[in-house]
Amino acid sequence: MRYIMFLLFFLSLIEPLHADYRDLFQRQFIDKPWGGAPIVREGVCIDCHTSKIMKADYLKIPQEWKMSIHYKNKVSCHDCHGGDPDDAAVSCGTPHSGFVGTPKYKDVPELCGKCHVGILKNYLTSGHGKALKSRGEGPNCVTCHGAHNTQKASIEIINDVRCTKCHTYERARTMKQALFVVEKKITELENQLTDMKKSGAITEDIEKALFRTTAEFRTIFHTVDVNLVKAKTGEYSSKLSLIENDLKKIIEEYQFRRNFSAFLLVLFTIMGILVYINQKK
Amino acid sequence: MLSKIYNWIDCRIGLTELIRKEFREYYVPKDVSLWSTLGFVTLIAFLIQALTGIFLLTYYIPHPDHAFSSIQNIMNRIPYGWLFRSMHIVGANLLMIILFLHIVFVFYRAGYKKPRELNWLTGAIMFLIVLLFCVTGYLLPWTQLSYWSTTILTSIPTILPGIGEYISRFIKGGEFVTGVTLTRFFAFHVAFLPFILVVLILLHVFLIWRTGFSSLYDDPGICQKAELYMGRPQYKDGKPFYPDFFNKYMQMTFVYLIVMFFIITFKPGLFLTEYAYVKADPLSTPLLIRPPWYFLAPYSMIRMIPNKFLGISIQLILLLLFIIWPFVDIKEEKNIRKRPILLGLFTVAILVWVFLTIWGRF
Repeated sequence: MRYIMFLLFFLSLIEPLHADYRDLFQRQFIDKPWGGAPIVREGVCIDCHTSKIMKADYLKIPQEWKMSIHYKNKVSCHDCHGGDPDDAAVSCGTPHSGFVGTPKYKDVPELCGKCHVGILKNYLTSGHGKALKSRGEGPNCVTCHGAHNTQKASIEIINDVRCTKCHTYERARTMKQALFVVEKKITELENQLTDMKKSGAITEDIEKALFRTTAEFRTIFHTVDVNLVKAKTGEYSSKLSLIENDLKKIIEEYQFRRNFSAFLLVLFTIMGILVYINQKK
Repeated sequence: MLSKIYNWIDCRIGLTELIRKEFREYYVPKDVSLWSTLGFVTLIAFLIQALTGIFLLTYYIPHPDHAFSSIQNIMNRIPYGWLFRSMHIVGANLLMIILFLHIVFVFYRAGYKKPRELNWLTGAIMFLIVLLFCVTGYLLPWTQLSYWSTTILTSIPTILPGIGEYISRFIKGGEFVTGVTLTRFFAFHVAFLPFILVVLILLHVFLIWRTGFSSLYDDPGICQKAELYMGRPQYKDGKPFYPDFFNKYMQMTFVYLIVMFFIITFKPGLFLTEYAYVKADPLSTPLLIRPPWYFLAPYSMIRMIPNKFLGISIQLILLLLFIIWPFVDIKEEKNIRKRPILLGLFTVAILVWVFLTIWGRF
């Protein structure tokens, strides 16, 4: 009985400490993305947009978004449309929350420009932007990039089918040719980076540099000014060459590893053969 | 200088006498082959895993926020860290291959029969411990591959009614694979399991030393009827352990190292997928994720049998049968070629295992 009493007394001392520890543990180990807390806050948007109350046209939006570059980069509904992803009443019911369901055709660039600031600025100075703002007729962002299933941009977005909807393809072709050299280099570097990442190399800094350079270059393109793009091609080519040099260093390091490992392979093979010959003697 | 040191030690512990008695004058049976060296190669493989593991332990951080980046640092920033980690990854997989071959060979040669039941028992438990090493080690890099493979593996016990959910939660330390699971697995991988394994290895080696090498030429009748320890069998018509058999050990050890470095040189990602280079993301399930190859057979079996409880029950029974096999097969005959039914079952079991492993890839 004495031992039981002692044990109970001991446990009564332990429990409060344990409770504190549990709270701390909960905060440090459970309430984290890797502890089960969501990273992409889908919230109520997805609930409604996949339910029967939604119009048929809007039901496909979640699926399209999940296939987009935005989803991959963890950009969620409220990042573009505003509102509160945890409360449908605040999100969809009141304009005070900043929620914009379907923006007006003219206002789309500002919606995308919340993140793509440089591109918005250049777009507004372009013929496309001016036409949109003055007559409400020019192409906006979704004309070329799509609305929810937005894919990673490439030079192939410029094509005769898309451009000839509004004007002849001649000017667009000249632009595509001007972009070609730099875009080709960007694609090559991206492919090399993907390969190196698959080998486990740390390419974060190079990726960031490439992303920055690509984004800057594509910002210029949104002015739709062929002469400006041509003038900047040299500058961006040399920036990409610097990135290529950094990447080459990583490739060389991996080549060294292969050679070193091959050296050990040869060494062990020779030692194995010597042991075998020794036994035969 | 060296001879002086040797003499100093020899004078105190009788090293020369020990080597003469235990190595030069100990004869192994004449029917031993390169296959008989697999146990020793397994030991070498364990040692390589331990040494490379200790190196990795120096730089690894067992926390979800840092585990992946610490592995990246080992692979890219720590001098020759890539070599140690590559050896650890390839070594773990090769260890499993050698273990499988070792078990198959011991079974084929009936090396589990009296007086070697305990050798089999300790070996079988060691095999399970190695599997636990693999499970716990797989999560540590905290990649998409490790996270989701662990999610699959730790969900398997939920098939068991009643206690299944509890077991699964106990393993994971909660409902999902989280930082708690990582810490738990890390502790098992570097502290708890190594301790048990070292004890079992010592016991296994001790038992081999006391029971000697198994031979098909042993008289099974005498062994079966013996009621007292018969001593280590002597094979005067055999070959001396040193240098003859020891050379075979060395040869196979080099074959092991050659295979390991062949893979590291020409196919370093052989045992990994692209998800092994992406940090774990609990909310993004990869399209194709499956357990490592050595778990594919049981995984396929569970997938194949519609009643999951039946599937896991069959596996548990097979596992129990595997462990207690020396007490099930008590026939005197050691040569499996003279036992067509057992040989047939043995062949079918291997073929089914290979089939299920290949099937699990798809």
